Amino acid sequence: MTTAQLDKMRLELRRGVLVLAVLGSLKQPHYGYSLRKQLQDGGIDIDEGTLYPLIRRLADQGLLDSEWQQGEGRERRYYQLSELGTTLLAQLTDEWQHLNSALATLLGGATEEKQ
Amino acid sequence: MELVKRYIAAVQRELPDTKRDEIGRELHANIMDQLDALQEQKGQLTDFDIAAVLKSMGHPRAVAEQFVPPQPLISPSYMRLYKHTLFMVLGILFLLQVVDSTSAWLSSQMGLLGYLHSLASGFLQDVLLAFSSITLTFWLMSRYSPAQDRKYQQNWQPELLPEAGPGWQHIPLQDIFTDLATYLFLLIVIWHPLWLSQEQLEASRFLLTDSAHQLLKWASPLPLLGIANSLWQLRQRLWNKQMLIANVLLNAAFGIAILLLATVDPLLNLDPGAWQGVFELHQLERAAVTGLVITAMFPLWEVLRDILRLRKG
Repeated sequence: MTTAQLDKMRLELRRGVLVLAVLGSLKQPHYGYSLRKQLQDGGIDIDEGTLYPLIRRLADQGLLDSEWQQGEGRERRYYQLSELGTTLLAQLTDEWQHLNSALATLLGGATEEKQ
Repeated sequence: MELVKRYIAAVQRELPDTKRDEIGRELHANIMDQLDALQEQKGQLTDFDIAAVLKSMGHPRAVAEQFVPPQPLISPSYMRLYKHTLFMVLGILFLLQVVDSTSAWLSSQMGLLGYLHSLASGFLQDVLLAFSSITLTFWLMSRYSPAQDRKYQQNWQPELLPEAGPGWQHIPLQDIFTDLATYLFLLIVIWHPLWLSQEQLEASRFLLTDSAHQLLKWASPLPLLGIANSLWQLRQRLWNKQMLIANVLLNAAFGIAILLLATVDPLLNLDPGAWQGVFELHQLERAAVTGLVITAMFPLWEVLRDILRLRKG
């Protein structure tokens, strides 16, 4: 497999997971940069050019509430899960856990076969 | 901070008017936060440091596309309907252009090249107009009602799907419209004296002799049956046994009619003066007969093809 193919598949794999990670991190309010730091600290590296538009799209879908606030001499837009976002996050979390356990079995089996 | 302003302006240029201010404001706040964090680590920032941060954000156009993903002109849910409409309309326009150009050709002194030019240029004009109008219509539909009614996705039954057949089972639209255009062309050529005035008839010179023209008149039910057969194919779009039998009979009749035409002597109604010193008339006669025999091979080949398909089916 070429690097380009691997990158493309990794991108596809990460796309849905990133939404889940962002929704999960926005149980508390964050502005763009602080959210990125939080994700990075949690082990999820995401570049700014992807994260900021993603937050806006989630807000446009009604999953996030947002508010401009003044802080440290500068205005910042804070985002937090909306009611709809909270409900969706719970459902997506269940789905993720179900997929994760199923995949663990499948990938575990694949690893054993390889060995 | 000049670089930051330039970067944000470059992103905003790629955004729709309604989103420029809001996204620019937010992007500015985010970049300034990043620069503040970097300044805490490194101290005073240089233009080089700022440029590196901006570079890591991505090209302004790519960032703008992430904020507002580009929308296709035609919504994917309409794409199938769009293509189908386009091909059907272009097929019908081709038929109308065949009628128009053939009538003009037969009622004037236009040569064969002139006829082909008239057919191609007229059709091209029609194509441009139809393509623009249909695309514009579907663009408006995609814009104001992006999700097509998907009732058909729920209301279907596997039992109602056509039987799985061989690869040739599906009849392409272009084949149907090519056949329809040929039949219409033949009918117009055969019956054009009906709608030409006496003056036009005298001014024009029909390529075939009266006896050959008479034979064509007797054969004119064949293109009529061909049109009916093509319309049937257009409705079904899948070959079945009855359709194959009809096609075999029709093409066999066409093949025989063309071969009979090739036996008419003399075949061509030529002006000897016009060809003097260019070709001998008997050479032209022989060329026309050879051409007709070759032409007859096409329907006869279809007869053979459809018989084989019937036997395999």
